[in-house]
Amino acid sequence: MADIEVKNLSRTYEYYRKQQGLLGSLKSLFYREKLFAEAVKNISFSIESGELIGFLGPNGAGKTTTLKMLSGILHPTGGQVKVLGHIPTEREKKYQKQFALVMGHKNQLIQDLPAIETFIVNKEIYEISDKEFEENLNELVELFGIKDILDIQVRKLSLGQRMKCELVAALLHKPKVLFLDEPTIGLDVVAQKNIRDFIKKYNREKKTTIILTSHYMEDIKELCERVIIINLGKIIYDGKLDDLIKKYATHKLLKVVFNGNGVQQEEVERFGEIDEFNPYICTIKTKRNEAKNTAIALLSSNLPVDDIIIDEIDVDDVIRQIFNS
Amino acid sequence: MAYRIGEIGETLVLILMWSAIYDGQKVIGGLTLQEMITYILIGNFFNAIIRNFLSSVVARDIKDGRLSMFLVKPMSYFNYILSQEIGRISLATMMSVLSSALVIVFFIDTFIWSFDIAYFLVIIAMVILAFITELLLSYLIGLIAFWTDEVDGIYATIDRIKKFFSGGYFPINILPLMFVQISFALPFSYSFFVPAQLYLKKLDLSVGLKGLLIQIVWIAILYGIIKVVWNRGLKRYEGVGI
Repeated sequence: MADIEVKNLSRTYEYYRKQQGLLGSLKSLFYREKLFAEAVKNISFSIESGELIGFLGPNGAGKTTTLKMLSGILHPTGGQVKVLGHIPTEREKKYQKQFALVMGHKNQLIQDLPAIETFIVNKEIYEISDKEFEENLNELVELFGIKDILDIQVRKLSLGQRMKCELVAALLHKPKVLFLDEPTIGLDVVAQKNIRDFIKKYNREKKTTIILTSHYMEDIKELCERVIIINLGKIIYDGKLDDLIKKYATHKLLKVVFNGNGVQQEEVERFGEIDEFNPYICTIKTKRNEAKNTAIALLSSNLPVDDIIIDEIDVDDVIRQIFNS
Repeated sequence: MAYRIGEIGETLVLILMWSAIYDGQKVIGGLTLQEMITYILIGNFFNAIIRNFLSSVVARDIKDGRLSMFLVKPMSYFNYILSQEIGRISLATMMSVLSSALVIVFFIDTFIWSFDIAYFLVIIAMVILAFITELLLSYLIGLIAFWTDEVDGIYATIDRIKKFFSGGYFPINILPLMFVQISFALPFSYSFFVPAQLYLKKLDLSVGLKGLLIQIVWIAILYGIIKVVWNRGLKRYEGVGI
């Protein structure tokens, strides 16, 4: 059975429009224009145990709303959600002990105390035995290499260190399902990579089902085999990341390196659309099926070709293309 | 601190006001001036023990979305916030009680000392139940934040009504009998008027015992309402800010 099952899920938010200024405020005392925003419209998907899914979409697409419904914070206005056989909004203890939600821009750690204090609080909340707590904590601390910051007040930690502690706090009870909402937001590339490596390893070793949202394509490329793309509350793609690239990336990039005196732009233009040009390195965009032939033509021409690399179009470009269309 | 000075100030103003009103009169509402001053002092002393500031804490958690962090964990927000509040206010309460006690010391010559073990026990039980009632009521008012962003106005309004019916401004028995009956059916009089009158032995012990029963009924009612409001509120909750 699938770990996460979502059927025709919808969520509508109510909101009001208020005209600016004092007059607008007075008017709104008597009449307010009530509006509805459909944050999530009729989406369905299912996720198997142990999968690591990338949840993509621009701001306001409905990613966080969906995660909130999966974790039981929000009641859906339509449709059904089942996670590990439980309905999240019923907030059964049994379910809550089996999942965790980590938000990159919201912290659950107690700011004025060292992280270890929050861990101990969580131990009590999740009713973790002393032995298990010690084992898990040691393992996680080892994995992250944060032994020396456990007893420092959380507000004194850097963003990267804090995120590591947040993850540890969320994983102490060994959740079967993990929701990560932009866990790498605001981190530098090194810290991002640390978190990424950790997620990868954790998913592989513990077979935890993970849903990850991120605006950094690097995260998605590195971690997720399958992606669900959501825009304006609707799923517009659900499948393998590779297939997505094949489907949307109709072109390939030929990166050609020239030696000697280099080349003129006119000389390479006949091989395809020029993406980037300088006399020594030139990127040519060709149709997928013509890539090989173009490479052969380049090699057999009289241009001073030193090297050719055939590359896929960047995932970022693919995603951008999807959102724009 | 400023708040506490205000609290003491209010008590002093009430005492001055009553001293002026009595001017020559022997008895108002069945109380002599000395009894009236004792009523105000002891009533405020009880009130200092009973009051809390829970509603703004609950409202803020809902408004800022901090509640979400509790909703995903296997813990009860109600239990958490109640235990936190009892811990937090124990200090504030102690200060309030101290300042009320200080005012009593200030009027030590006027203050009537009375001690009767049966009355004493009933008063203690009544104050404890009133404390619980007040906690539940504040929690309930805080939950209004599910529907509106601002609960301070509602809180202030209810606070005034509460004070009126509790006899905090004047003993309610100077009002028509109907008011007295209404306020005896409401939970508020048991946090000021009734325990203060019991202290002065102006009310019979049986009235006090009946009051305890009414308080227990109110606690059950409030608890029931909280359950319903909580469940309905969660359906509206948007978890903003996260």
